[in-house]
Amino acid sequence: MREKGGDVNDSEDMFLKLTAHIKEALLNLSSSKLRSALALLGILVGTASVVAMVSGGQLATNEALKQFKTLGTDLLAVSINDVPNDDQTSHSEESLTLQQVMAVTQTEGQIRDVAPYTQLYNPIQYNGHTLNGAVLGVTENFAKIVHVNVVRGRFISSLDRYSPFCVVGHQLYEQMKAISFVDPLGKQIQVGSDFFTIVGVADAWPDNSFVYANIDSAILVPILASTALSKYAEINNFIVQLVPNANIDMITHHLQQAVQHYVPNKRLYVRSAKELITSMGKQSKILTVFLGLIGSISLIVGGIGVMNIMLVSVVERRREIGIRLAVGARRVDIRSLFLIEAVMLSLVGGISGVVVGIVIEYIIAFLWHWEFMWFFWPPVIGFSVSVAIGIFFGFYPAHQASQLDPIEALRSD
Amino acid sequence: MSALISLENITKTYVTGESEFHALKGVDFQLQSGEMVAIMGSSGSGKSTLMNIMGFLDHCTTGRYCFSGRDVSRLKDDELAAIRNQKVGFVFQSFFLLPRLNALQNVMLPLFYRGEEESSAKLKALNILEKVGVRDFITHKPNQLSGGQQQRVAIARALVGNPEVIFADEPTGSLDSKTSHDVMQLLIDLNQQEQRTIVIITHDKEISFMCPRVVTMKDGCVA
Repeated sequence: MREKGGDVNDSEDMFLKLTAHIKEALLNLSSSKLRSALALLGILVGTASVVAMVSGGQLATNEALKQFKTLGTDLLAVSINDVPNDDQTSHSEESLTLQQVMAVTQTEGQIRDVAPYTQLYNPIQYNGHTLNGAVLGVTENFAKIVHVNVVRGRFISSLDRYSPFCVVGHQLYEQMKAISFVDPLGKQIQVGSDFFTIVGVADAWPDNSFVYANIDSAILVPILASTALSKYAEINNFIVQLVPNANIDMITHHLQQAVQHYVPNKRLYVRSAKELITSMGKQSKILTVFLGLIGSISLIVGGIGVMNIMLVSVVERRREIGIRLAVGARRVDIRSLFLIEAVMLSLVGGISGVVVGIVIEYIIAFLWHWEFMWFFWPPVIGFSVSVAIGIFFGFYPAHQASQLDPIEALRSD
Repeated sequence: MSALISLENITKTYVTGESEFHALKGVDFQLQSGEMVAIMGSSGSGKSTLMNIMGFLDHCTTGRYCFSGRDVSRLKDDELAAIRNQKVGFVFQSFFLLPRLNALQNVMLPLFYRGEEESSAKLKALNILEKVGVRDFITHKPNQLSGGQQQRVAIARALVGNPEVIFADEPTGSLDSKTSHDVMQLLIDLNQQEQRTIVIITHDKEISFMCPRVVTMKDGCVA
């Protein structure tokens, strides 16, 4: 009752018409099933790719961050390197001693603990077989700070000092077992010309970019023993554990000054777990945006598919449009009719795309052995973008339909 | 009593490129409420153009069109749509039912665009379908109906909004003579029993003989 109706009736009218339009749209779409299915497929693939790519990127980031989270964010990795110099002959022979490292780090109130370590690449031999692996000279607290679990035997103790004892990494342990067919624990291993007794076995250690060595394929010896093994065993790295909420900049500055005092020709590089996590977070944001954009491109292609199908539909249904105009449909009615059809296509495509996208995310997590997680935003964004695309690409055909001249439309066949 | 439809010096000119075609060259025409009139003419005589203008499907180029005493010559699209919806019903030569909708849904369509509630629209549509004699076929799609049945459904659709005038453009053009006669009889009954105003566009003399008043068009003028 358009003439008599007040404001209350108008909104009721709108609702009635909307539900009727939706019913009609579904009827029309189902009457050309194959074509609707194809248009829907385009939107589905687009939405699924947005959801799967963004969620997959998030999973990858979480996985990468996990290694830091197990280590803790309160660590600093300090390395002491030669200053790059034009004069190559002035390679400094001097390096920090263990006492100096302790002195440098113990003066600072914000440092809880420190684990210096040396790295050697002497040949390792076991039962006449040469093994590939590094020799790390470590202190007792190394295990605690970088989370090395000893599954059998014991870790290096500060009492060991120069004693020839060692702990073997998980991977080396397995290799040794395969060579000798007996438990290597308690047996001897040859490093260079010296023999070390195996006193402990480390558990598998998750690789991370914070410690410059793979403990799985290394043997760990007392740090003093390592300096006795070779003159190349220098304490060039140490890992500092900070008190909570420590001032990283201040500590870095302090360490720089202190190290400069002992070895003026060297330079200090400090990386904090916190910084690494923030920079990884930034990178992952870029990755997420990038993946989202790639997904959106396929969504736009899907939108063009919807537009194409709607344009064909408008041409095919010119007579229907004419009939509707003749019985009193306004231009806005015709526009809503076609717009709602386009939106219904994208709505259904969007919903199924979200489902397919989450399934793909699950498959990715399963194949890479990542932990599956539910993310809130990727499905929401994927779904709303697909509906927006439906409205955007549906509007032009719907507008075309609404601008038809009733007589022209009735005459066409 | 003023006329339901009053046309004064209506012209319609189609411009295609540089050539102009004068479909109507100054038509004066009056239609009283309750009349049944046949507009006769050969093809190209302008009878369809005249119906399109009287039925608010098209604008006239010049002239004055009064409907129920109101000047409607220069109305906007949406106002025309509202008048088509409320005051006018159309019956076409090839029925023009929507193929995907069944008979009942087709008849309910004008009421839907009026924003009428579904239950009352359904009731009205069923009543009208009963009156035109196709009550048994309400769930049939148009392609499951004979030509005569389709035209009856189309007439029901024209009547359901209780319009002030029904325009029938060659309503029997696609029907055999027996069904033609039945459909014409239905229109005549509607005019005589319910005083419906009916305008029939036709080139068929036999059809025009059945109407109380005949207007003949020739070369864009009322002859």
